[in-house]
Amino acid sequence: MANWTQKKLLMTMGGATLVVCLLAGGGVYYTQGLIDEIEVSIDEKAKAILAADAKIRKIPKVENEVIILRENLGEYVKILPDDKELVEFVRMLQRFERESGIKSTGLVQSRGSRQKGKGRFVPISYAYDMTATLWQGLKFMNLIENFERFVSITDFSIKKVRANGGETSTIDGEVVHAIKLTMQTYKYNKAGSKKEVTIPNYEDRMTELREEIWKRMQEIRLTHYEHPGILGRRDIFVDPRESGVGGGNDPSNAEQREVLQQNIEAVAELQKIFEKSRASGTTLMEQISIGKLFRTKLAALMANLDDNAAFIVYRPYRLRWAQEVVAPIEQLQRQMNSADIEQKPVDPYLPEEEIQSLITMMREDCNNGQLDQARKRYEVVQERLAVPAEDSRYGLVVEAKSWHHKASTALDFKGLDLNIQGVVVNQTGRSGMLLNGEVFEEGDYIAEDLLVKQVEEEQVWFVFRGLTLVRTM
Amino acid sequence: MIRINLLPADLRRGNRLPARVLAAAFGAALVISAAIGWFGLVYFGNLASAETALTRVTAQLDSRTGKVKYYTDLEANRKDYALRVQTIQQIGKSRRVWSKFLDDLIDVVNNSGATERHLAWFDSIRVKGDNKKGVTVSLPCNVQGDDKSMMANFHEDLEAAPFANELSKKSDPSFRQKSDPTRIPAAFLTFPMELQFVSSAKKAKKK
Repeated sequence: MANWTQKKLLMTMGGATLVVCLLAGGGVYYTQGLIDEIEVSIDEKAKAILAADAKIRKIPKVENEVIILRENLGEYVKILPDDKELVEFVRMLQRFERESGIKSTGLVQSRGSRQKGKGRFVPISYAYDMTATLWQGLKFMNLIENFERFVSITDFSIKKVRANGGETSTIDGEVVHAIKLTMQTYKYNKAGSKKEVTIPNYEDRMTELREEIWKRMQEIRLTHYEHPGILGRRDIFVDPRESGVGGGNDPSNAEQREVLQQNIEAVAELQKIFEKSRASGTTLMEQISIGKLFRTKLAALMANLDDNAAFIVYRPYRLRWAQEVVAPIEQLQRQMNSADIEQKPVDPYLPEEEIQSLITMMREDCNNGQLDQARKRYEVVQERLAVPAEDSRYGLVVEAKSWHHKASTALDFKGLDLNIQGVVVNQTGRSGMLLNGEVFEEGDYIAEDLLVKQVEEEQVWFVFRGLTLVRTM
Repeated sequence: MIRINLLPADLRRGNRLPARVLAAAFGAALVISAAIGWFGLVYFGNLASAETALTRVTAQLDSRTGKVKYYTDLEANRKDYALRVQTIQQIGKSRRVWSKFLDDLIDVVNNSGATERHLAWFDSIRVKGDNKKGVTVSLPCNVQGDDKSMMANFHEDLEAAPFANELSKKSDPSFRQKSDPTRIPAAFLTFPMELQFVSSAKKAKKK
C-alpha cells in the first residue's frame, strides 16, 4: 500500500466509502420496509381495537336486548309445545270439551303434518270431529283460540246432523250440528339454537328491565277474542221460518209480534217518564209524583214480563225482546237505584250514640291507664268526627276531642325523661326538687311547656301543655 | 537525470501523506460514519419504536379479545332470539280468529231481530285454508220470501260486516227461487255465497 500511488489510494478510499454507503443505504431501505410492514400491522390492529371498542360499547345494549328477548321468548315458547306438552294439549281439549258441552267423535293427527323440517317451528295438525249446537261449537272454538299455546283453526265445517228418524236432534231447544275442525299447532325445533350466553347479574338486570320486557310482551301478544255468548241470537244454520205443519202449540208470529210491540212501547213510555223525572225545572212534588207513576208502571210491566218472555219463542223476536225490552228495563232499574241513592243524603258523620259510646270508652281507658287505647279509639273514627258547629253532636265531639288531647298529652308526658332524684318540701316557702341533676323550685319552667306546679314528699305535680299531671316517686 | 535526496528520511517531504489523500480519507471517514449512523438510527431507533408500538397495540387488542368474543356470542344469541320472536309474530299475525268471524256473521244474519230487512240462514259452512290463495268460506245461503231486495240487503250487510275489509272476493248476487210448503212463507231464495279472505302472508304484511 505504501507504494500505491496517490490516485490509487484515492480510488480505493472512494470505492470503500461507496461500498459502505451502499450497504448502509441498503440496510436503511430494508429496515424501512420492516417499519412499513409494522406500521401497516399497527394500523390494522388499531382499527381492530376501534372496532372492538365499538363492540364493547354496545355490550350493555345487546345484553339488555338479549335479556328482553330471552324473557319474552320464555313466555312465548309456551305456545310451541314439545311432545310432552302435546299430551297436555290433548288434556286441554278434554277440558274445553267439558266447558263448552260439545261431544267429540274423533281426534286424528293429520298425515304428513309432522314434518321434519329445518324450520324453527314444525306445524302439527289435528282434525277434531264433534257434535254440538252452534253455541257450544263456537264456545269451544273460542276457548281453543284463546288458549295460551298457539293453536290456529285452519279449516272447519258445520253441517246439519240428522238423527235416525230424519229429525234434527236438539239440546235445550238448540239444533245439534256436525262440526269438524282442523287445528294447527307448532312444535319448537331446538336443533338450530345457539348456546345461551351467561350474562352477569342476570336476575338484577331482568328486574331492572321488567317494564320493557312487559311492554315488548304486549307487542307480540296473540289476538284474543272473548265470545259474548248467545245474547238472544238465533242459530244461523237453522231455517228460522214459522212451521206450517200442524201449527204446534206455539203462538203465531203475528201474536208474538203484537206482544213484543206492546212491551217495547211500554218500555219507551217508562223511559220517557224517567227522563221527565230527571228533567231540570221540576218541583220536588212533581218529582215525587212522577217517581210514583214510574214505579207503578214498572211494577205492572214486570208483573207480566216472565209470561210475555215465555210467549215469545220466535228467535228473531226473542233477540228483539232481549235487546229492546229486557236490556232497557235493566238499565232503567239501575238508573232508578242510583237516583235513589243520589236522593238520600248520606250522613258522613258518626251517629250520636256511637260518639257517646266512644266518650265512655275513652274515659274508662284513661282512668284505667290505657292511654294508648283511648287515643287509638279516637283516631280510628277521627275523620267521621268533623261535624260542623251547628250540628247537635258538636258538643259530644268536643268532649271526645278533649279526652283524646288528655290521652295524647299524658302519653307524651310519660315519654319525657324526668328523673326525680330528691325533693325538699318547705312548708312555709317554695319547695324544690333535684331533677336530672338540676334543682327546680315550684313555679320553675323545666321546658317551654313543662312547669313544676307543686312538690310533695311522695309526688310532684307538673303542668304539661295546660294539663296537670303527677309523677310519683 | 538521477535525483538523490540527501535529507534524513524523517525530514523528507515525499514520505508524508499528501494533503489530498488526508482530506479524502477524512471525508471518506465522515461519509462512512454518517451512513452507518443513519442506518443505526433507522434500525435501532425507528424500527425499535415501531416494534414497541406494535407490541403495545397487540397487547391492547389481546386485552379486548375476551369481551369481543362475549359480544359476538351475545349478538349470535340476539339474532337467534329475534328470529324466533319474529317467527312467532308472523305465525300470530297470520292467524284468523274464526270465533270472532262467526260471531260477526251471526250478528249480520240476526240483524238485531229486524226481519223486515232480511231473514237469512245457511245450510252449512265450509272454511278451507290455503296459505297462498287465502281462506275460502263457502256458505250455501237462503233468504225468506220471494223479495229479491231482501237478498240484495243481505249482500249489502255482508259487505258492511267487520270482516269485510279482509275479503279479497265475494260472490255476486244470484239466486234460485224455491218453495217449502212446510214453512210460512213457503217461498225462499237460495244462492251460493263464497267469501275469499286475503292470504295469511298478505295479512301478515298488512299488519
